[in-house]
This record gives sequence, C-alpha cells and structure tokens, in this order.
Amino acid sequence: MFSRRALLLWPKGIRHYSSEPSLLATPFTDLHIKLKATMVEFAGYSMPVLYKGQTHIESHKWVRTNCGVFDVSHMLQHRIKGPNATSFLQKICPTDLRSLKPFHSTLSVLLNSNGGVVDDCMITKHDEDSFYIVTNAGCRAKDIEFIKSELSSYNEGSGIEHQTFEGALLAIQGPKAQEVVSKYTSSDLSTLYFGESRFIPLDGFGSSEKFHIARGGYTGEDGFEISIPDIGVAREFFLALLQSEAVKPVGLAARDSLRLEAGMCLYGHELNEEITPVEASLNWLVSKSRRSDKFNGSEKILGQLENPKSVTFKRVGIKSKGPSPRQGNKIFASDDQSKQIGVVCSGSPSPTLGGNIGQAFINKPYQKTGTEVLIEIRGKLRPAVVSKMPFVEPKYYRP
Amino acid sequence: MISALSRQLVKSTPRLFLRHQSNVLNPKSVVFTHSAGPVVLKFTDQHEWLSHHPDGTTFVGITKYASDALGDTTYIELPHDSVGGTVSKGDVIGSVESVKSASEVYSPVDGEIVEVNTALEENPELVNKDPMGDGWIVKMKVGELDGDLLSEEDYIKLLQEE
Repeated sequence: MFSRRALLLWPKGIRHYSSEPSLLATPFTDLHIKLKATMVEFAGYSMPVLYKGQTHIESHKWVRTNCGVFDVSHMLQHRIKGPNATSFLQKICPTDLRSLKPFHSTLSVLLNSNGGVVDDCMITKHDEDSFYIVTNAGCRAKDIEFIKSELSSYNEGSGIEHQTFEGALLAIQGPKAQEVVSKYTSSDLSTLYFGESRFIPLDGFGSSEKFHIARGGYTGEDGFEISIPDIGVAREFFLALLQSEAVKPVGLAARDSLRLEAGMCLYGHELNEEITPVEASLNWLVSKSRRSDKFNGSEKILGQLENPKSVTFKRVGIKSKGPSPRQGNKIFASDDQSKQIGVVCSGSPSPTLGGNIGQAFINKPYQKTGTEVLIEIRGKLRPAVVSKMPFVEPKYYRP
Repeated sequence: MISALSRQLVKSTPRLFLRHQSNVLNPKSVVFTHSAGPVVLKFTDQHEWLSHHPDGTTFVGITKYASDALGDTTYIELPHDSVGGTVSKGDVIGSVESVKSASEVYSPVDGEIVEVNTALEENPELVNKDPMGDGWIVKMKVGELDGDLLSEEDYIKLLQEE
C-alpha cells in the first residue's frame, strides 16, 4: 500500500522523530508535540506536518477562510549590512535594491555565475546598506557558504557584515490575520500594506522589545511573518494566538498545497541551480532598471530576456482531473505521444478548486494557456491543460 | 457474526484496543455480510486487508491505520482493465491519493478480479469513513490463502513496532 514516496512524506513511527536527538528543534517543537502534531523530518528539523483535529484539506481551507499560524523558524534569517552591502547584494541578486524603499520587502533569488538559482529569498531593506533576508531551511548550509564565498571575492566588501540568527519566525496567514495580530500590538496594522514591514511591540508578554513584522507570506492570503528572537516571548505569543477561535496551527502539508494554489515556487521543485529566473517564469524578479547591469549570470539571464526565442522551456501551470500529477512525471505532446515536452515540478489535488493543479517545465511551443498535453502517471498518459497561474487569486492587503 | 466480532475484541489487550480497535471489518458492510461465514480477515505489511469468504470471494482494501495516515482521500484509481483477469500477489491493483501523496495498492494474493468498487469514484472519502467496509477497493475470487499473510494479531504487533 505505502509506496516509498508515501513513506517519505508520511513516515512510519512518527513519534520516533519527535525524540530523535539528531534532528534540530525550533523554539516551538515541544509545543507542536503537545498539540499532537504529526512530526516529520524536514531540512534536518523535526517539523509539524499536520495537527490533530484537522485533516490536510480542513487545515488548508481554514487558512483560506480564517487564520493559520505556521512555525517557520527553520528558515534561515540573515542580516547583511555595512558599506556597499547594496552593491554586493545586487551582484548576487537581479533585484533593484537601491531603489527599494526602507521597510519594504521583495522576493528575490541568489544567483550563481551561470544564472542558476542558488536559493530564493525574501529581502527586506531596513536602511541604505542594511538588509534582513530570509532563505530556505533546506539550503541553509549551502546559502551560508555561498554568501561567504561571494563576499570574500567581492572587492569592496571589506566593511560588509553578514550574520545569520536563530530565534522564532511565525507566519500568520489568512483573512483574519490582521484582526488576530492586532489584539497583541498597539501598532496600527491597517496601515501596513503588502510588501511592507516595521518593528512592532507585542503587548502583554513582559517585553518592551519591538519585533520585525512583514506583511506577506507564502499562501496567497493576506498575512504576516513575525521574527521574534526572544524565545520566551515567542512561545507566549504563539500560545496566545492559539487561544483565538479564528486561529489554528497549520503544518507543512497545507503550507505546500496553499503555495501551489498561489502559483508560488518551492525550491527544489520549481527552482534549482540549473534553472534561470527566466526559465522559472520569474522575469519580474529581474528589475527593469537592472537590465543593462551586471550581476551573477547576467549575460545569460539578460540574453534570455532580450531574445525570448532562445528560452526553450519555462515554468507553466497545469490542471487535470483524475490522478494527480506529481513531481517528476513526464509530459508528452498530445499531437505526438512519443515526444516528451516537459516534466512536472509540483502537483496535487487543489483543496480550494477541486481537480488537480501543478507546475511544470514545458518546452516551446506547448506553453500557451489552453494547450492540451499528456502526463505520464503510473505508466499511463493522462490529459492535462496548460493553465494560467496563480490558480487561486491572491488576496494581498494593498492600499 | 457477533461471536466472531467479540472474539476479535477479546483478543486485543485494552491498550491495543484503544489504538487499533478500528482495524476490524465493518460488520454491516458487504465485506462481512457477503456470506454466512466464517470470514477470514488477513493483513499485509503494506497495510492492505482482505476478507476471505468460504466461496472464495475476497474483498481487498486498505487498513484503518493506512487510511488515517494518508488523510483525506481525493482520488482512487481502480483496476478497471483487470476486471475478469487474474492478478498475482504484489501486482498493483490501484492507487489511493491524498493531497500530499499517491500510494499504490498491491494485490495481497493471486486471484481473479471480479469487481471494482465504483462507488469510490464518486465518493473517494469512503476510504476514510469506512476503510474496512464500504471503502473496499476490489472484489476477487481467490483459492486457498497464502500462509504468509498476517493475522490480525501479527498486524497489530507490526503497528506497535512501527
């Protein structure tokens, strides 16, 4: 019954993991266990995949209608500051960080010299030459090494400090997120828009410290990500949030299905070191103002932007019925079933829409929305259609 | 029927009972009521169950434990092409999908596939609601049962170890 793949995703003997000494814990790990979460290994951490009392679909829908709190403390938080920090980051990222306003955030990518994606990241500017960056847990060691190595070969980088820090990082997502978080801060969150951040007090937890809150997230819903280095405060805050009727803790299972519906990339699925941002259909990450500039892989990436015909495949959305496409399934042309034209990056049933959704790398000329393709699932070719993303319209809080 | 059920309950210690009480056949479902019995219930270490009736009719499905571990079932692939044909032990006879994953169902025995449970196509959630009853996946015609299938006791032991 259980395929190897299923075992990877839903390990047997889950309780062994919770006490597995070799796995890293977040500041909330014991609380997840008390909440009877199913714990799995993820990027070296013991992480909650689903909490008792809700099925995957219920937890997914809860975030779309109420408010879910996610422990994302396994992600890596960085501070990069000092003279020329902006120029340095503009060497490794294609984003115009010079004109990014302080306390604004943007999605970006760390690029290798071939224009491949080392990792995707959220960059928040706090001041000229002062940035807060969050990268993926799964790329932790690689990212630290990459930034260190890039910094050591950067000529004007002697004054740049790069630090990573641990602590709590919580994502609070869903239409009721503002109402929920507002109970615990005197800061007026109605004036904090998508892509903006600020330091806010958290009232009633015995600390006068202010904590970084960014409006956004990884679900397509309105929401926040709050960084709380003081673990005592973080735990009290987490438990306080759960007192609210609108709030449920949500694990990695729904995190993945929510981001997929939002058409967002997951490193290792839609992004890797061989794929450029253009191939990943993330052209917008290459700021207009930087399209004659130099950065890692700029020759290749700008070449692809100038000459779209040279880009043989790109990331597109797919929809289907029946068995769900999954990562690695091959895609064939419907007019020539022997011709492989792509591969599935991610796929799953969509709890919000019904049917299946997915993301895939597909060759020209099969990338147009509405194109019928065939996906090989368990040895059989099944029809699917290239579809526009996001699958579920985002509900970001904008002015 | 009732005596068969209570025997199953008595066999389990109370602690095991709490955790694994549901890995038993639904006595109201066809997987149990197909014949007057005795009905033999067996398991595999891949978390399939089968109920074998004196006329050789054998229902196959996934256990309560497996159904709980997989979560919301979103789609079941049934072996329509194999109906009327024979399958060998270990052959894939279907798959059960949740949002997160797809798991193949293997035939626990050699035999002929007589029927597939088409009700699952409209209501895949039957596999969660009644995995060892109306959520059966295939109906087979089987001769003598293989000796290396697990008894209920063995299966519970396996779950304990896991």
